[in-house]
Amino acid sequence: MPARTPAGPIALWRSQSGHAAASADRCPHRGMRLSHGFVRGEALSCIYHGWSYARPGNCLRIPAHPGLTPPETIRVATHEVEESGGVIWVAVGEPTIQPPRLEGLAPLRSLTAHAGIAVLEAVVGAKAGPEGLVWQAQNSQEIRLLLVPQEDDHTLIHVLLDEKSSASQRVAASRAIESLRRTAEYLQAKGIAS
Amino acid sequence: MIDEWYPVGLFGQIENGWKTALMGEPIEVAFDPGREVKVTSEDGRTLPVCVRYGHVWSSLGKPRKDLFAIPEADQPGRRFVEVGVVRVRCSPLRAVENFLDIAHFPFVHTDILGAEPHTEVHDYKVEIRQDEVWATQVKFYQPQAAKSAAGGITTEYMYRVPAPTCSVLYKTCPPRPGEWDVIALFVQPLAEDLCDVWPWMALFDDVTPMTDLIHFQQTIFLQDRSILENQIPRLLPLDPGMEIPTRADLTSVAYRRWLKRHNYKYGAQLVAQ
Repeated sequence: MPARTPAGPIALWRSQSGHAAASADRCPHRGMRLSHGFVRGEALSCIYHGWSYARPGNCLRIPAHPGLTPPETIRVATHEVEESGGVIWVAVGEPTIQPPRLEGLAPLRSLTAHAGIAVLEAVVGAKAGPEGLVWQAQNSQEIRLLLVPQEDDHTLIHVLLDEKSSASQRVAASRAIESLRRTAEYLQAKGIAS
Repeated sequence: MIDEWYPVGLFGQIENGWKTALMGEPIEVAFDPGREVKVTSEDGRTLPVCVRYGHVWSSLGKPRKDLFAIPEADQPGRRFVEVGVVRVRCSPLRAVENFLDIAHFPFVHTDILGAEPHTEVHDYKVEIRQDEVWATQVKFYQPQAAKSAAGGITTEYMYRVPAPTCSVLYKTCPPRPGEWDVIALFVQPLAEDLCDVWPWMALFDDVTPMTDLIHFQQTIFLQDRSILENQIPRLLPLDPGMEIPTRADLTSVAYRRWLKRHNYKYGAQLVAQ
């Protein structure tokens, strides 16, 4: 699937054995987006000509030349990936620390808001830290938001909740986050208009 | 670049005229009072016109030569298929380069023009003939090479690039061995990263209904569009370094070199970015 980091667009994929991997979203052969590709076994293949890449980014196979072992120089840039508590973290550059462990929290849903991080922070009334944004919403328990900036003032929001939450608490949190999105998008549009 | 001929629409639809664009400039195509085709730019200039291969052709400059010849267009017994238009958000040159490519058949036109495990591209010949790019002896296994093909066959292709945004391919003709079916791609550059693609065919096929022939070609081209709109960068890189060709890409390599030699830069990217 396509995803976006501050370092640019990436192709995020999971191999058959269950390992998550991230590479630059561009096949070096003809520039096709690798996020349109397909996963077979432990490799990601480009949908254009089927060139396949291993998790470390080296090219494994060029179907037009089945007898050829692709040279080491053909590779895609990759990013380090960590999974913890149901969240996939992708590193930009070479990180020296592990991603935060969000103990006791479980992922609820992800959504995109057409609003910048500053606007979302203003609506929540708090600043986002390394462990995300803590939001005490009305009619809901505490909600944790992980904010990822996207193109054109969009923000991808991953929502986490206490892992012991009941179904009705999860529904309430989901509604609260919808309301947050509407408010933030309204303020964003107004801010641009004024 | 402005002195080339470019397709600007189907002659069969001239009756009510239409507005379109050529390399960023709005133009208008219509019959004049004497029922001659007239192409006018926004500032009122009358542009060069010719009508050939079912399409109206024009130019913002002064073409120094006639439109390239497709002798098969005058051959008796062929059916001429005007497929219509597909608008693609990509460089006109990327659209032509994709048309010259066979290695993508098994992955993009799966079970029609190609299928795994038949992915190998055997060596073929590429040369410049009378200032056109030609690829010959191109062979590929195809499950359904044409609407008229009953099962899988190894198809032989020849490709030519007679103009920067046009390509003509010749392929094995299932009902008539010894003859070639002709499929052309005429690309109208609307902008450097936007084009209207007009496929046109001259086939030996008296059986298949016209609608099916058009649908077949449109299916193929819509599959190509899903690729063309997702290549980065949108412009075609002419300098080596940004993309990695293999032996299967020799036609593409020759096409890019030919464009560069002609200093044809519209829709191209010269320096790796």
